[in-house]
Amino acid sequence: MIGILVKKQLMEVFRGYFYNQKKNKARSREATILMLLGFALLMVVLLGGMFAGLSVLLCSEFYELGLGWLYFLLMGMIALLLAVFGSVFNTYSGLYKARDNDLLLSMPISVRDIMIARLLNVYLMGLMYASVVIVPAVVVYWILGKFSITTVVGGIALVLFISLLALVLSCVLGWVVAMISSRLKHKSFVTVIISLVAFGAYYFVCFRLNSLINTLLANAILIGDTIHGKAIILHWIGRIGEGYLPSIIGFTAGAVALTLLCGWCMSRNFLKLATVTDKVAKREYKETTAKQKGLFAAVLGKEFSRFTSSALYMLNCGLGIVFMLAFIVVLIFKGNSMVEMVSGVFGPASTAFLFCMMVSIMGSTNFVAAPSVSLEGKNIWLLQSLPVDPKLVLMAKLSVQLLVTNIPVLALSIAGAFLVAMTVPELILFILFPQVFTLLISAMDLALGIRFANLVWTNEMAPIKQSAAVTIALFGGWGLSAAVAGLYFWKGHLLGFTPYVGICTVVSALLAAVLLWWILKFGSKRFMAL
Amino acid sequence: MLQIKELTKTFGEKTAVDNLSLHIQPGEIYGFIGHNGAGKTTTLRSVVGIQEFDKGEVLIDGTSIKADPLGCKAQIAYIPDNPDLYEFMSGIKYLNFIGDIFRVEPTIRKERIRKYADLFALTSDLAQPIASYSHGMKQKLAIISAWIHDPKLILMDEPFVGLDPKAAHILKEMMKEHCEKGGAIFFSTHVLEVAEKLCDKVAIIKAGKLIRSGTMDEVKGDESLEEVFLELAEDAEREA
Repeated sequence: MIGILVKKQLMEVFRGYFYNQKKNKARSREATILMLLGFALLMVVLLGGMFAGLSVLLCSEFYELGLGWLYFLLMGMIALLLAVFGSVFNTYSGLYKARDNDLLLSMPISVRDIMIARLLNVYLMGLMYASVVIVPAVVVYWILGKFSITTVVGGIALVLFISLLALVLSCVLGWVVAMISSRLKHKSFVTVIISLVAFGAYYFVCFRLNSLINTLLANAILIGDTIHGKAIILHWIGRIGEGYLPSIIGFTAGAVALTLLCGWCMSRNFLKLATVTDKVAKREYKETTAKQKGLFAAVLGKEFSRFTSSALYMLNCGLGIVFMLAFIVVLIFKGNSMVEMVSGVFGPASTAFLFCMMVSIMGSTNFVAAPSVSLEGKNIWLLQSLPVDPKLVLMAKLSVQLLVTNIPVLALSIAGAFLVAMTVPELILFILFPQVFTLLISAMDLALGIRFANLVWTNEMAPIKQSAAVTIALFGGWGLSAAVAGLYFWKGHLLGFTPYVGICTVVSALLAAVLLWWILKFGSKRFMAL
Repeated sequence: MLQIKELTKTFGEKTAVDNLSLHIQPGEIYGFIGHNGAGKTTTLRSVVGIQEFDKGEVLIDGTSIKADPLGCKAQIAYIPDNPDLYEFMSGIKYLNFIGDIFRVEPTIRKERIRKYADLFALTSDLAQPIASYSHGMKQKLAIISAWIHDPKLILMDEPFVGLDPKAAHILKEMMKEHCEKGGAIFFSTHVLEVAEKLCDKVAIIKAGKLIRSGTMDEVKGDESLEEVFLELAEDAEREA
């Protein structure tokens, strides 16, 4: 029974490999095998290879210094971090928010079996993520450090220890996420902020990874001594990998005991946890007289509500806003040195153009309009049955993208205008071109959204992340920007900034007009026929 | 109020609605019954302008839905078989959105929201997101939104599904009150007892074709509507 349940859960986790959400039908066996092979390749070759490289870099240095335990401690911590963060949201949804809990509990399956199957699922996911780091680390140690029966036993024990610890931590953190999630009022905004902080931290670490490793290597002995002196338990944990028998026995037994304790605690509360209904904070209704809105304002308000209601939508299709705001801050504090650098590399004549293009490219990273038609989904009947002109609906969708993009683009252009010396015509084009280009990109995104509309989806991830409209919008925007920049460096610079950017502005305006004409003439009919 | 003339709609090879004609007068509650897949929803969706049709004409208060879709839609309200509403909005935001679209004056809007939300005991939940509503609550909200702009014609697809007995009773009373004021209602249902008690007229559709229509007495005579419906369906099957 447990085997059947685990299989069902793994199929649920990897359902994207068996089921095409966009087409709402099962994938062919060949497509599933290909996708699973691709996933294995990504995990083993790309991620595994990356951590194998890191292991090679650290292992020989640490082993020669007699700090093999610090090497294992470090790699073990990375593995634990990846395992816990890789599976914590899966734990949250699989353990505490499983949609089929009621169904399974109504069947002749013991609660114990359901719980064990759920925990096994969490364990397997954690093991998968941990193995990507710790298995290459252990193998590299066997090759570059020491290979013996004790180090083999130690390596296996380390994998077991970390995966069991990841299971316990995932269960605890999953529970914390469940508690926080049920109490949050503005979930989508909080999720966006947390995700942005996580992105920031990720890029910060990536940016500084080399210097972090160098610092670690340069101060390995000092760090080792400090840990040895102040946190001896970490020293013993690291020694598991070196094959130190007391560590192997002690920590493996400890991890097993902790897992059993976790299982015992879960078994006492599982039924309650599995059947709990989300507490929705009761918002008190106060009767007020609403202000009458015009048709366009009403539909625009609805579109903004849709955009701000989904963290996934905001993060994927509106991330350009954050980039632009961040860039404004950079320009204010480091603008002059940036201008000097760009001017030094590309020459003073190209500085204004490059700033202009940078602003335009940043604007094109927003593609709010691209999935907006598909996101109507099952609600499409509303706009189709209400007395609203479909042209007005489409213009409201376009306006959301224009408002969230053109305003920061304008602010960025103004910030840039203070840094680059320009004549009046140049200044006008410096500000006008990104505005017109953003209009063109927005119209293109909306046209793509209409052309590739997909209303049959079960998870909004399908229209937001996996649709043809979004993919073409993202790369199309960058492609257009690259074309404008490429043409400038090929021949355009011979014309000079004002004539070249002037031509680009006119061409962009004409293309935008054509797209808007298509949207209003044919797109609106297509929208009504969806 | 509503004239459907020789309406035909095909999906590929399948004719979902075949040459269907109906006339719904002001003050009438018109029931539309038929098996699953008979063409009821297709007819309703064609009438409200969600779905284009191949042949025929739909006139709302004398105006063609094809010629003036916005003008026609402004006079009607539609409740589909599944109340898929904007889950990212709260109940009150949704009602105000509908009020804005139909240009319902704010004080009148407030009064109507109060009246109907109180009737359905939904007032205390109006500030909650629609995502947290049960199926029945969503259905109640869809009904309130249909009545909020006092339309001339209300079209409903299986409106009693998901409603508790009290709410179903309230809806029946609202339907009667609406028609007493000169409005009209055209709705599909599988609940023949409801149709029999509530409707002034009824139409029976089978495989896209209208097999009988008229006043309740004309359609069922001395038999029950259920008996007539089953007999007619069998006859239609034999003929096919």
